Amino acid sequence: MLKKAYDWIDERLNVTPLWRDVADHEVPAHVNPAVKMSAFVYCFGGLTFLVITTQILSGMFLAMYYTPDINNAWYSVKYIDDQVLLGQVVRGMHFWGASLVIVMMFLHMLRVFFTGAYKAPRELNWVVGVLIFFVVLAFGFTGYLLPWDQKAYWATAVGSQIAGSIPWIGPYIQTLLLGSHTVGALTLTRFFAIHVFFLPAALLVLLALHFIMIRAQHIAGPL
Amino acid sequence: MAAGGERIPGTPRYRHHQLRNPGTEPFLPNFLLKEWIVGAVFLLAFILWVWFNPVDLGPRANPDDTSFIPVPDWYFLFLYQILKYYPGQYIVFGTVLVPLVATLLLLFTPWLDVSKTRHPYKRPLATGAMVLTTFLVIWLTNEAAVQHRAEVAAASGQGQLSAGLVSLPKIPASQIHLTATDMPGYQIFEQNCSGCHGKSAEGGFGPPIYAIGKYWDENKLKSFITQGSPPKMPPKGGLSSESDVEKVAQWLAQQKGS
Repeated sequence: MLKKAYDWIDERLNVTPLWRDVADHEVPAHVNPAVKMSAFVYCFGGLTFLVITTQILSGMFLAMYYTPDINNAWYSVKYIDDQVLLGQVVRGMHFWGASLVIVMMFLHMLRVFFTGAYKAPRELNWVVGVLIFFVVLAFGFTGYLLPWDQKAYWATAVGSQIAGSIPWIGPYIQTLLLGSHTVGALTLTRFFAIHVFFLPAALLVLLALHFIMIRAQHIAGPL
Repeated sequence: MAAGGERIPGTPRYRHHQLRNPGTEPFLPNFLLKEWIVGAVFLLAFILWVWFNPVDLGPRANPDDTSFIPVPDWYFLFLYQILKYYPGQYIVFGTVLVPLVATLLLLFTPWLDVSKTRHPYKRPLATGAMVLTTFLVIWLTNEAAVQHRAEVAAASGQGQLSAGLVSLPKIPASQIHLTATDMPGYQIFEQNCSGCHGKSAEGGFGPPIYAIGKYWDENKLKSFITQGSPPKMPPKGGLSSESDVEKVAQWLAQQKGS
């Protein structure tokens, strides 16, 4: 039954080559921790992706309860913590996961750096990786404001002041960040939109490029 | 069964000759299953950490309370710390030049380190630079955290009145988030202390103490409660036993307000 359904789809769309390419590509021994334990350093990239996946999932559930306006944001987070079933756990996942993404990504970057995996012909994938790093930092900066508690508010206030102190373009950057002259209602909606729409879009495109390039160029050989 | 059995070792349809290079294995299902195990162990450790380290929600944002000492999230601390080394008119080094140069160096690494050799020992300049940068980032992060803690400790003096008491700003009870409410001290607080200090420690007849743990530690709290503050607060705060005082002090010490 399952096979018939698969064949029916395959006849029309020819999907076999698509997943075959992913499934059959050979993973070299030097990146396989089952062959050599020390190869676990090659897992950091995959684990970063795993944490990013949990971030997307926990974020989707948080968005069911979170309210991005200055009157209700804090209360909605308090509601998630105190009332929602497992709310504190899901918020905990998203909070700690944010730090974990940074840590795993940093470890992944060190692995790529010290094994010289960014060298020709893989220069572009390194650049895409660095861009992903900056997108993740932007996730951290915008996400930090959303609970709308004291530390969130003042961290953003100072962050925007620092941006505003840049010569010539500083004030423009500050207005672009805050949507106003001070951290307020417009800043919160703006940061929310950036955090849940703009940045995920950018991240998914960059991740797709990252993975497609790995498939096209293969993993760098053993040292 | 749909296609796929020929890639699973130990099944009749397994086709070993498909593996061109010895030591390699197909991504699916062989390698992915092993990665899956690594991922499962990793996720389990993550969930255990999350479960036992609940996230605090600080008091609601209050733009009027300028006494709050701001600090960015930990992964921005190294950038924050760099600013402190370029005070006054040189601030542009910290805000723009240093981060910009670091960003460009990182982005263009493949075109700066162009030798064919990949082994880290055979390109000491690149390896040394990255090791140094890593240590520098870790050191700056730690330095910023240490300085922030010192600042908070010093500022606790500013929150005090002449009698050495802490004065917290009055905020509505609905904006206070008490933590660790599963501790026994919380029940004692609810029954004995909340009459004067408020159900959410927002203050009433007695002063607000919702974030007292930010300024006083457990020992200080214990000695203060034991002594009392006549005429408003009786010794032991009206509690009968020493151990109750201790439990309340333990719980209050957790109320850091952020």
